[in-house]
Amino acid sequence: MVPMIRSEFRKLSTVRSPWLLLAAGPLIVVAGVTGLVESGANVHNPAVQNTALAHVGLAALLTLIFGIIAVAGEYRHGTITDTYLSFPGRGRVVAAKLAVYALVGAAAGLICTLVALAVTAAWWAAKGGTFHLSAGDTWRTLAGGVAANLAFAAIGVGVGALIRNLVGAVAAALAWIALVEGIVGQLLGSGLARWLPFYASEALDRASLTGTTRLLPQWGGGLVLLGYAAAFAAAAVLSTLKRDVT
Amino acid sequence: MAAVEVRGLTKTFGRVTAVRDVSFTAPAGKVTGFLGPNGSGKTTTLRVLLGLVRPSAGEALIGGVPYGRLVRPRYRVGALLEATGFHPGRRARDHLRVLAVAGGMPDRRVDEVLGQVDLATVASRRVREFSLGMRQRLGLAAALLGDPEVLLLDEPANGLDPAGAAWLRGLLRSLASEGRTVVVASHVLSEVAQTVDHVVIVSAGQLRFAGPLGEIGETNTALESAFLKLTAIPG
Repeated sequence: MVPMIRSEFRKLSTVRSPWLLLAAGPLIVVAGVTGLVESGANVHNPAVQNTALAHVGLAALLTLIFGIIAVAGEYRHGTITDTYLSFPGRGRVVAAKLAVYALVGAAAGLICTLVALAVTAAWWAAKGGTFHLSAGDTWRTLAGGVAANLAFAAIGVGVGALIRNLVGAVAAALAWIALVEGIVGQLLGSGLARWLPFYASEALDRASLTGTTRLLPQWGGGLVLLGYAAAFAAAAVLSTLKRDVT
Repeated sequence: MAAVEVRGLTKTFGRVTAVRDVSFTAPAGKVTGFLGPNGSGKTTTLRVLLGLVRPSAGEALIGGVPYGRLVRPRYRVGALLEATGFHPGRRARDHLRVLAVAGGMPDRRVDEVLGQVDLATVASRRVREFSLGMRQRLGLAAALLGDPEVLLLDEPANGLDPAGAAWLRGLLRSLASEGRTVVVASHVLSEVAQTVDHVVIVSAGQLRFAGPLGEIGETNTALESAFLKLTAIPG
């Protein structure tokens, strides 16, 4: 397992595109917090402070695509052949990618968290508000944001291993988040919709961007996302074992 | 040293039979030319040998076992499939460093094989800047990284200039003379006649000939007419 994990890290450290992708995370956080403040948010309300920090969870969109690249990107460039020649046990290759990409996804979430804290504190100071780390369970929102980044990276690895076509996998994931989940959520009603992945990530971030009020508790959202990651990973491993690499 | 054995191999993709009941042995210490027209099942056979494609029937063995059961496979088998297995944004040396850490080879081997394929001076360039011939050399470097006893090479001369092709012939001869098993899939007959000891000819997924080169003709013209006759599809 160690050579597999080391080679995954070396693959990542020798190309630029995944890092450019993840670097967009802090930019999204800065833009999101700034937009919130500029649109007249009440900087004296601790709940608004949490809404600002919940933007860390939005960066999980990037770790999702980052995870998709892990496997689908290898199929796109044909490097998957070499990967399986080095490690004929394909299930363990997917497991190593899950571990490495989830870890890097969590690290990306952590960096976004630090940026979110700095930007929020700066805006709050500029607008005369008082920023309290201890207020309103702030740390829970931040931990949830990091967990969302981790979970979506893992889900991405599963999606990419299942769909294998890079463009198709990214398009499917973005379409689901931007469009399909919202429609499905309305059809299901909020009682069932809260079990869908994006709603679950809102529960994890403790902030509703879709405006729904019936979210799972934070721990429940985390467990549901982990469940999705496990289900996609299991399906990915099963399909990877059977399919020919041509 | 390990021989490569294919026994009763059949592979179907949906309704298409890519390989039908093919059997041959590529002996150690020889260069075996694996010949056939485009689409005759050569690449599929190599991919089955490498454990990338599952056989529908029969087996493909390296040193008596399937690829998936080899311990430290990169030290046993070197493979060159197509010149597309590179991330375009990765530097050539880094491509090999990734394979070295995966295969358990020391990084020192990376510079050794880069020198062996004459890419040392361009090793810090990204692969997207490489010509087809340079990619082919990089693929060969990857195949040589583990100093393997078996080499499976699919169209290795693709994209090489005449000097590169001559260099490749010398390389293959010297690898075989060290006792290694070298299998070269190709449809370029003139390349093969000067390099191989042993010939396996397939056409439309079926075996047409397997044996020493001398049995079908040493000269280019003799080999070509034998090849055309053996691979002609009836009707």
